[in-house]
Amino acid sequence: MTARPFASILDGLTRQRWVTAALVVSERDGIVVESNLQIGQSGDRLAALAASLYRKARLSAKAAGLGAVSFMQLEAPGGRICAVGGGDLVLVVVAEPAVNVGLVRVELLRAVGELLAIGGDEVG
Amino acid sequence: MQMTVVEAWIEAPLKRFVDDAGAELALLLHPSGQVLAQHGFARAVDVMTACALAAGIHASSGELGRQLDGRPFRGLHHSGRTRQIFLAEAQSPRGAFVFLTVFGPESSLGLVRLYFEELVKGLAAAAPPLEATAGPALAEHFERDLNRNLAVLFGRA
Repeated sequence: MTARPFASILDGLTRQRWVTAALVVSERDGIVVESNLQIGQSGDRLAALAASLYRKARLSAKAAGLGAVSFMQLEAPGGRICAVGGGDLVLVVVAEPAVNVGLVRVELLRAVGELLAIGGDEVG
Repeated sequence: MQMTVVEAWIEAPLKRFVDDAGAELALLLHPSGQVLAQHGFARAVDVMTACALAAGIHASSGELGRQLDGRPFRGLHHSGRTRQIFLAEAQSPRGAFVFLTVFGPESSLGLVRLYFEELVKGLAAAAPPLEATAGPALAEHFERDLNRNLAVLFGRA
């Protein structure tokens, strides 16, 4: 096991244009497992709140009988937060408003398989 | 569940923590074990027990940290099957306090740590200046002061 087991996933995501941060977060604990951040970004704060948001979205979808959440996107004036879940892990991306969301979505969904292979056990 | 405080300036930052972090129980105490504020407890005896245990854990884990790492551990987290405990020291202009909180699956360790940092800042901002020199932590009136604080918290003052 390397010190940065999710490095290839995170590097692939942060290589996308307008993506400013990518994190692997524990959904249950809201703690950063591994991250690619820019100077000044608060990974701990983002991880805690994004994991909480994703968890609530997942539970809401379940309660409404919609099944598992595959992709979550939050749009704000300053940019977007996108997340996908894999087991107990959540992959979170922060991007500027100009980002190609479709491309980020494809990359995130593709990364879920790799995320599960390294650290998860079942699709959330 | 009702929140009660011995000193009024603690209430607003503690209430914000409980609301934001979704904590089930919260307890702020002096490192000596004297209670300052509580949220979620129904009986004085439970507060007294939790304070004694929290003060003991804080003292022993602090010493363990000093032995292992040359400085006390900053926080302690224990995850149970359904509930979790977070215990940490909160520094303020009025000295160090010990903070204990219990949270369930609706919250997370990340959220609790995040809002604990804000609680510490809130306490520092709200704390009035220290008036007189405080007596020793384990003064001869320790039990009297403890009973007085519990009476204030549970409406028997």
